[in-house]
Amino acid sequence: MASPEISDIGDVGSDGLRRSSPEAALGEPSAPRPKRFSRDSVAAGAKAVAGIVGLFVVWQLLVSILAPPEYLFVGPVSAFAELIERPEYFASNTLVTLQEALAGFALGTALGVLCGAALHYSTTVRSFLYPALIAIDTIPKVALAPLFIVWFGFGFESKAFVAMAIAFFPLVINTYDGLSSVPHELQELARINKASPWKKMTKIDFIYAVPSIFSGAKISISLAVGGAVVGEFIAGSKGLGYVVLLANSQVDLPSMFAAFIVLAAIALALFFIVDFAGRKLAPWKSHAK
Amino acid sequence: MNNEYAISVNNVGKTYRSRDGQSNTVLKGLDFHVKPGQFVSIVGQSGSGKTTLLKTISGLQEPTEGEILVKGRPIRDGIEDIAMVFQSPVLLPWRNNLDNVLLPLEFRGTRTDESRRYAQELLEMVGLGGKAKRYSYELSGGMQQRVAICRALVSHPELLLMDEPFGALDAMTRDSMNFEIQRIWQATGCSVLFVTHSISEAVWLGDRVVVVGDRPGRIIADISIELPRPRGKEHRFSTAFSDYVSEIESHIGVLTGIS
Repeated sequence: MASPEISDIGDVGSDGLRRSSPEAALGEPSAPRPKRFSRDSVAAGAKAVAGIVGLFVVWQLLVSILAPPEYLFVGPVSAFAELIERPEYFASNTLVTLQEALAGFALGTALGVLCGAALHYSTTVRSFLYPALIAIDTIPKVALAPLFIVWFGFGFESKAFVAMAIAFFPLVINTYDGLSSVPHELQELARINKASPWKKMTKIDFIYAVPSIFSGAKISISLAVGGAVVGEFIAGSKGLGYVVLLANSQVDLPSMFAAFIVLAAIALALFFIVDFAGRKLAPWKSHAK
Repeated sequence: MNNEYAISVNNVGKTYRSRDGQSNTVLKGLDFHVKPGQFVSIVGQSGSGKTTLLKTISGLQEPTEGEILVKGRPIRDGIEDIAMVFQSPVLLPWRNNLDNVLLPLEFRGTRTDESRRYAQELLEMVGLGGKAKRYSYELSGGMQQRVAICRALVSHPELLLMDEPFGALDAMTRDSMNFEIQRIWQATGCSVLFVTHSISEAVWLGDRVVVVGDRPGRIIADISIELPRPRGKEHRFSTAFSDYVSEIESHIGVLTGIS
């Protein structure tokens, strides 16, 4: 039960009210319940923001003190100045990268979940496809980008497919793991009650796998942004990857760093959106099982 | 076969064959019958195949020898009225307690408003009527197991299989759960097969105690417990009770006794 000595660490004491509930009687699992969306998490968010701001400050200080030439390194002030100077340029290119990444992520997620489910439910698929999938996974997906350019051309599709190829694998593995971790007692309960495969899948398996699927999606979403950028590196006339490449050729480091900041910001925002959605869909994960 | 038994286990054996040709006999020549409404405890050391026996009776596994009849019918025909309670409650964390109790009926496609009322009644019977809308993480281990028992009872089973249901609970909770299960069993009138490690639990609860020996699992004793019902705390300290316990201990080969 709530041991008094932990309450002197930060805000843990605010949790005490819930844990001293009357049903804390016999044999209650003693794991503390991690709380989400509480005062604690607001504090954690503030610390995270402070960390990012601090990073910018240190970065700017280093640049101010060391004063490297502008063709080698620039500080966040120059980068943000560049963003403010050409907002439409950055906004339109960000939108392109964002669309490619999201399309690739959506496609990769859909295919990944389907594949993971097929691996779990069919022993035939598993024995034939699992080794093959692992083998394909060892190919750096970035190396596939030129192939996708050949197949899908220089436009939106080829970048989305690079993003998809990268986003796909974490979802296959995590969906498969999630479905496989359903306790055997629940499988037996379903069998004793003659549940149809469909009922078992929809009432138990897939809900059980939601947290695991979202763990995969959190990895995939950042990878998808990277995939889109790589696609733009290889063949593109739009998008943040193209912005970086163009800045490179013009030795325009403020523009390059501005693109880095935007990329980091959208990857971070997308990650938190996926994380938030996962917690909304599987709120029980926040409680001790 | 004879229809007067709730379950007939006729010369049942179970042998697993591994890929390298080795065979592992888990159960051998098991033969016993359970009358309707009887409470039968099954004790034996771990690894004696007690869980395999329950899984075979529930139809989750098929015996390699012999047959199991439930009310005179082979289990393969599809038995509607068996339910099982596991050692771990395994409630679904995204469902409240009432919806967890109703899960078997959803699997069967027979959930109705009437069954909702019945599930609520069951929760009230185990003293959790006020917790129907709560979630399992808000309950203690003993309470969770009571919800799991309600989940087993919701389909009106005639045969309740319990696989060390209180094995994970602390001693005090376990004692109160024993009283609880006696009350539930007397209220529902179903037959119970109750697997446990605890000899005193087996004696206190059972009309009969079947002692299963290990490697391979076989019946080494089948003892009728002639203690009056309902049984209270005082029975645990009676001479008759401790005689039964020591008799069973001698069968299992336990040297140090528990009282």
